[in-house]
Amino acid sequence: MAVSLFEEKLNSDKFVVTAEIGPPKGTDLSEMKKNIELLKDRVDALNVTDHQSSVMRYPSLGGCLLIKELGGEPILQMTTRDRNRIALQADLLFAYSRGIRNVLCLTGDSVDVGDHKDAKPVFDLDSVQLIRMIKTLETGVDMAGNKLSGKVQFFVGASCNPEADHIEPQLIKFEKKVNSGARFFQTQGIYDVTLLRRFMQFARQFGVKIIAGIIVLFSYRMATYMNENVPGVKVPPQILEELKGLDKEAALRKGIDIAARTIRTIKEEKLCHGVHIMAIGREHIIPEVLEASGL
Amino acid sequence: MIVATKKPIEEILVALAPYESVLILGCGTCVTVCNVGGEREVSLLHSALRVAIANSLMQQKRFHEYTVKRQCDREFLEALKGKSEEVDAILSLACGVGVQVLADYFSDIPCIPAVNTVFMGSSSTFGIWDERCAGCGECRLYETAGICPVTRCNKGILNGPCGGAKNGRCEANKEMDCAWLLIYERLLKLDQLDRMRKYSPPRNYGNLKRPKRVIIT
Amino acid sequence: MLERGIKKTQILDRALIPPCQDACPLHQDIREYVDLIAQGRIMEALKVIRDRNPFPSICAYVCPHKCEDKCRRGRVDKPIAIRALKRFAVEFGGDRMVRKEVEERYSEKVAVIGSGPAGLSCAYYLRILGYPVTIFEAYSEPGGMLRVGIPEFRLPKKMLDFEIERLVQMGIEIRTNTPVTSLDLLLEKGYKAIFITVGAHQGRRLGIEGEDAEGVMDGISFLREINLGLNPKIKDRVIVVGGGGVAMDCALAAVRLGAKKVDIVCLEKREEMPAGKEEIEFCEEEGVKINPSFGVKRVIKEGGRVVGLELVRCVSVFDEKGKFNPKFDESEKTVIYGDMVIFAVGQMPKVPEEFNVHVERGGTIKVDPVTLRTNREGVFAGGDAVTGPASVVEALATGKKAAKRIDDYLRYRYPLEETEERPKIEPEIRQKTVEMIRKIERIQPPLKSVEERIERFEPFELVYDWESAVREAKRCLRCGTGAEIFYKEKCASCLTCVRVCPYGVPVVDEKGEIEIPPSDCLACGICVSECPAKAILLRKPADRRQVDLEISALAGASKKDGSLHIVGFACHYGLFGEGSLSYLFRTPKEGIYIVPVLCIGKLETEHILKAFELKAQGVFIAGCGEGRCARENTDAFAIRKAERAKKILERLGLERERISVFTASEMDIEKKLEMFIERIASIILERTLKEEK
Ligand SMILES: Cc1cc2nc3c(=O)[nH]c(=O)nc-3n(C[C@H](O)[C@H](O)[C@H](O)COP(=O)(O)OP(=O)(O)OC[C@H]3O[C@@H](n4cnc5c(N)ncnc54)[C@H](O)[C@@H]3O)c2cc1C
Ligand code: SF4
Ligand code: SF4
Ligand code: SF4
Repeated sequence: MAVSLFEEKLNSDKFVVTAEIGPPKGTDLSEMKKNIELLKDRVDALNVTDHQSSVMRYPSLGGCLLIKELGGEPILQMTTRDRNRIALQADLLFAYSRGIRNVLCLTGDSVDVGDHKDAKPVFDLDSVQLIRMIKTLETGVDMAGNKLSGKVQFFVGASCNPEADHIEPQLIKFEKKVNSGARFFQTQGIYDVTLLRRFMQFARQFGVKIIAGIIVLFSYRMATYMNENVPGVKVPPQILEELKGLDKEAALRKGIDIAARTIRTIKEEKLCHGVHIMAIGREHIIPEVLEASGL
Repeated sequence: MIVATKKPIEEILVALAPYESVLILGCGTCVTVCNVGGEREVSLLHSALRVAIANSLMQQKRFHEYTVKRQCDREFLEALKGKSEEVDAILSLACGVGVQVLADYFSDIPCIPAVNTVFMGSSSTFGIWDERCAGCGECRLYETAGICPVTRCNKGILNGPCGGAKNGRCEANKEMDCAWLLIYERLLKLDQLDRMRKYSPPRNYGNLKRPKRVIIT
Repeated sequence: MLERGIKKTQILDRALIPPCQDACPLHQDIREYVDLIAQGRIMEALKVIRDRNPFPSICAYVCPHKCEDKCRRGRVDKPIAIRALKRFAVEFGGDRMVRKEVEERYSEKVAVIGSGPAGLSCAYYLRILGYPVTIFEAYSEPGGMLRVGIPEFRLPKKMLDFEIERLVQMGIEIRTNTPVTSLDLLLEKGYKAIFITVGAHQGRRLGIEGEDAEGVMDGISFLREINLGLNPKIKDRVIVVGGGGVAMDCALAAVRLGAKKVDIVCLEKREEMPAGKEEIEFCEEEGVKINPSFGVKRVIKEGGRVVGLELVRCVSVFDEKGKFNPKFDESEKTVIYGDMVIFAVGQMPKVPEEFNVHVERGGTIKVDPVTLRTNREGVFAGGDAVTGPASVVEALATGKKAAKRIDDYLRYRYPLEETEERPKIEPEIRQKTVEMIRKIERIQPPLKSVEERIERFEPFELVYDWESAVREAKRCLRCGTGAEIFYKEKCASCLTCVRVCPYGVPVVDEKGEIEIPPSDCLACGICVSECPAKAILLRKPADRRQVDLEISALAGASKKDGSLHIVGFACHYGLFGEGSLSYLFRTPKEGIYIVPVLCIGKLETEHILKAFELKAQGVFIAGCGEGRCARENTDAFAIRKAERAKKILERLGLERERISVFTASEMDIEKKLEMFIERIASIILERTLKEEK
């Protein structure tokens, strides 16, 4: 029995599509609401980021509740950077009680890359330990072994980076996450499908669902900025070349093109079980990406 | 070794303002080793304070220089007995431990720290210090090929790399190596990669509960 | 409580004896005078030389320089040219600083028989001690071998005359043409002590067939005739037998007298020849042919005249015990033709029997090695007459020693052998360090061209010019003056010294303690100025004290009116030695105070701050630059120290630009200084403007 609608869709062998919603810095939720409404019926689930790049924002949990209210399927992104195990467990209980069933377990970016560089990095747990913690909660006890009233159950996901410089330690960690209870994976942005193929040869044997991450590029500058500053993302030179010298509009078109091209290859080759589209700060263009890739 | 850094001198000028006769007190152990609080630094700081006075950044004062073997044990402070009457403040170049022991010992004289104590670490090249131990109370170096992920991984991850590293460097600091890639490489060399495959449970932060004390029997 | 200014710095000189000094029979402080030359303090160098050497100008020409053979720089590349440097100092300094007056304190007259270096030296020191001294010399002119042995082209007689003149001025009586035949006569005449230094003037012969042929003579006689102006007749083809210095001198003299062909025959292999390497090279340059590894079997004569020598191959000169015991291969014989043969195969003393002193097998006088006494009461002996043919310095050294022993004797003191008060430094340098020491080519003193030099009997080795002398002197490793962890109890084992040393000298010993092996250290001072515990001192601490003193002298230099006040720490070697920084001193500028430091590597951050404390507006550090500095990394560390001081200034709200490091090699020092003055002036201007606002 599937825990969530999203799990059910993945199990049905449909090529799933998820997209990322970035919450606002502040309490004006109108933009986020618009984006959710635009996307909730076109994709299978919506992720809400948890202070992405360590920049303080409206919480992921809040975003997920809004999606729920608006009739969408949320995936709660949860990092261990800002909360200790007490807060994390509490938030999970709360999420479950409000009908949130999908959790993506992450360690989170370093505090040093964010906007509160003086903040205390918590990291009481790491992502693998977070996954295990959820599995523990599901058995009816908390991490300290105390009994819980009522039920807790999640469709647990994690991330992985098929394009990491050193892939072997990533694979070891992937395996560890699977063994700890991760059932689906949303990957870091994919630009080089050959690297994804290499990763999938290994990942396929574990029988978990893999959703390839697609970060839509908007400009040459954004691409180089990500190479410099966004952990784990690497835009290869050929793609940089494609974007070079284009004006704003043309660059956006090209970016959508590149994303669509990658998605089509993945789909045609049945490389993974779906794609996860991240259009950082420009969620409104996601429908165009979907169209261009024939989804 | 305990590693410290020098406090900005303007902070020291402010702290010294009310006093007339100041003992600049160095420590001959850890802070000497990390080049911030030994006899040389005592006389350097002294010189710097005199330059400050010469430039009217501070009132004229009397200074005394001394360096004890170790400030963190009172027996070594014995040497200052009888001399302390002459001063109305002690500027200590020792780590926080030393300053506190000093303050206990001379409870009627204000003790001012001149350095910031930063970590426990080591130096492999002249002038460069790296943190190597966090005093976490449950050493797992055996599992991680002798490389500490608690101090050397920005996020203290115990179960493998975060995926943010680029060119082998940590996502948080491009100057530093990704600890987990180092661990991976050394485990591979030791033919012990299974250590990395093994789940490493959450840390026991109970070890850090304060105040902390160790009693040896 | 320790007040500032009262430095705990140990002022004791703890320098170890370097091998050069150890090898020198006179035990001269070579390291010191070489360094003084490098610093451009030539008169001070000369003073150091004169301190232990009674006749430096003579040694400067003819010393066989055992010091150079032992010089540790030789393990890196080539030894320091110590003798040539001494000659530079002596000739630069001239006869200034020469002692003339002495006080006669005692009435006991001393007689010295023989006016060779041993006799002269003994007389000189006895005179200084306050004794009336008379030298008796058989020849018409004083000087011994210096006069009748060593040819003019190696030691100009005027040098000798000059030194002897000095002795006469000191009140020493020299009676020439006065061979002493009996000691009793002297004693009768009231001499209370006698020093016999009759030298070794009798040429040895081999005792082989044909030696009595016409045209055969011994080297000593040959040279004596030349030196006494008797112009011996020379033939076209001359054969000199012998491999030592005297043989080389004979060969060179023969060339100068006009011989068409000169051959040297000697028992030794080329590399075993006892003559100095340079001398052998001089001979070869002048066309002398060296025939090593041959013994002379007989002199071939025709009608009573020599026509050549029959030679036989010599396979070894010394036996297993190292004793002279030549072995020949009789099957390999050859003949060498010549119409004149000079045997320079050694000399023996000739001591008159009437002296009634104990004489040993080789004709040498037997003495007690400590007291230098002979078997006769009040009679001492030394020099070649005791040792057999040796060298000038050895003669000078025994002369000096004899003076002390005679003094002991006359003053009824128990004679004590002087013992070495300081430990010696190991001659070895660790291989690793040797590799890290930059090779610097030895500068040879210039020579006259071969054509010029064979023309006449004149010295052909010229004296260094200033620049070469100073550069050569800078090569010295300053052995034994290096760093020492003096305050062992302060050492925190921080490893700073281990890591900063450009030569990898400090080590962690097997007990886990930090150690600076004195034999590897080059005394650059970097560790001294970096040790955070201030545990390290240089064994020769004068360098640091000097800087402290000079800075303190600047107190009060700054004027109230805010006019320019800049302190410049400049390398002493660059200022006064090599001179790359000499501009700074030569052209005094208003408000600029130069503090010389013995290499900027020894400067400390405190020194820089101290200058600011004394109200300097700016501080610059001027070094000679990498490559010119005789040590490594001194620039880099000066920059580091300046950076530390800059940071402090910055924190105090003063401009970091007030400190600057410049090196002579990077650009014109004059321009650099001008730019710096401008910079400081504009900083001051800006400040005043701001304050006025
Ligand atoms: C050709 C030659 C070249 C040399 N080159 C060098 C060199 O380059 N470097 C170096 O260091 N050494 C050199 N030497 C060696 C050096 O000259 C001698 O070792 C040194 O001179 C010995 O000094 P001395 O005082 O013992 O004897 P001498 O110098 O030999 O002096 C002895 C003096 O005693 C006098 N005398 C002897 N008998 C009587 C008497 N009965 N009454 C009065 N006077 C008497 C003699 O006439 C003579 O003047 C050289 C020697 C020779 C022969
Ligand atoms: S390097 Fe200098 S101190 Fe050392 S042996 Fe040579 S001359 Fe003497
Ligand atoms: S630098 Fe000083 S304190 Fe450090 S090891 Fe060397 S001698 Fe000891
Ligand atoms: S740093 Fe210089 S003074 Fe110190 S040990 Fe090395 S060579 Fe000697």
